[in-house]
Amino acid sequence: MRNVFGRGFDSRRLHQIMMPHVRYRGSWAAALLLAAVCLAAVLPAAAGDQRTIVLDPGHGGLDVGAKGKFGSLEKDIDLAISKKVKALIEQSQAYRVVLTRDKDVNPSLENRAAIANNNDALVFLSIHVNGSFRKKAQGSETFFMSLNATDEESRRLAYQENREQALDKSIAGADKDDIKMILWDMAQSAYIKQSSQLAELIQAQLNSLLGTANRGIKQADFVVLRGVACPAVLVEAAFISNPEEEQKLVDEAFQDNVAQAVYTGLMRFLAAYGKN
Amino acid sequence: MKKPRPILFALLLAVLAVLVFWFIRGFAPERIAGPGEAPSPAASPEAPVSKETMKATLFFLRDDDGMFIAETRDVPSTGSVTADAEAVLAELIKGPTGGLVSALPPETKLRQVFLTKDGIAYADFTKDLTAAHPSGSDAETATVYAIVDTLAFNFKAIKKVFILVDGEERETLNGHLTLNRAFLPDFTLIAKS
Repeated sequence: MRNVFGRGFDSRRLHQIMMPHVRYRGSWAAALLLAAVCLAAVLPAAAGDQRTIVLDPGHGGLDVGAKGKFGSLEKDIDLAISKKVKALIEQSQAYRVVLTRDKDVNPSLENRAAIANNNDALVFLSIHVNGSFRKKAQGSETFFMSLNATDEESRRLAYQENREQALDKSIAGADKDDIKMILWDMAQSAYIKQSSQLAELIQAQLNSLLGTANRGIKQADFVVLRGVACPAVLVEAAFISNPEEEQKLVDEAFQDNVAQAVYTGLMRFLAAYGKN
Repeated sequence: MKKPRPILFALLLAVLAVLVFWFIRGFAPERIAGPGEAPSPAASPEAPVSKETMKATLFFLRDDDGMFIAETRDVPSTGSVTADAEAVLAELIKGPTGGLVSALPPETKLRQVFLTKDGIAYADFTKDLTAAHPSGSDAETATVYAIVDTLAFNFKAIKKVFILVDGEERETLNGHLTLNRAFLPDFTLIAKS
């Protein structure tokens, strides 16, 4: 089962855990258990009050992502940059950082979004480098999810189809899938504006720190962003398919600059749009 | 005995008239067009030329900026939208003849195209479409819209395109763009000449 609504899961579970208190009133064992549960619940919150930033290194495992002419793989560069961003954020103790993968594995796209939701993430950043059929393709861009006419229309169609089918037969597996897809769509749709602001701030830093061509901020219907219930963007830093940019991407100093750009853009976003 | 006779005659005439009418409207054109009948020698050389090819517009990438540029080619045509769409996509897979860049891996093969009555074309490719794909969001977007725009541009009956791989829906081509839905064409990706 996918946990679509990661948010609120913890609090509901806490209620369930605390409910036995009513039934076992008077029992010392139960009181001790309750005290322990309360302490466990309260202590981390009191100690940190940290919100979580989720970083998502693209691809991984058998999915190598885009490939460079000199043999470098996107998945490795995505992970290296993500770890650098994590280190930058963790310099201060203001935020906790969770990576969707910290080694060479490939979580499903929906699980990546679920990791953000289960951690009640403040921001979700997917880190990629681009690939193209064209040798000349170059530059950096930042994506946030699109809610264009195509999406609206497909959602409306799915809804209508559900209703029509519901008249003929009871809700079957396929119908549930459609409904789930619509809910996942809606998770990110509540954060589109903030996501565009985050994309703009990160793109400005990529432009000034990397010296790569400015491909601007763009909207696209990316699976990994759809279900994320917080501001979310996907960064495409340079083209690994372009031999010149591939050589930059494998360079440690360039990776540091990408990480610095993403970090600075993120911090400006958090400063401007607060902790909520 | 004398009275029923005109009625019978009238009925017989009516039935005959209907039969003759049916014969002329229903069967006659088929006979004339049918393969058994020898067509007039003047019509035969012209008909195949005008009916059996179509001008197909194929979209390939300009290396500089990734905009689509059209290349037109004569493609065999049967008059059926799905068969013609298959021919056009086969031509798209063959790639450009000039200095443009194909947005489909050359290894790709088309399995078939089918069309629903509400105008959604399902374009079904072999798994080479994903296995031989270079990955990257730029490459994925280019592949999807080269297929969608080419089909929608050439066939009025095609309003949207759903891409299948080995007969099945895919979540994405290679990890980015949501693929398990029908795409409207995006003609803003075509370069303004």
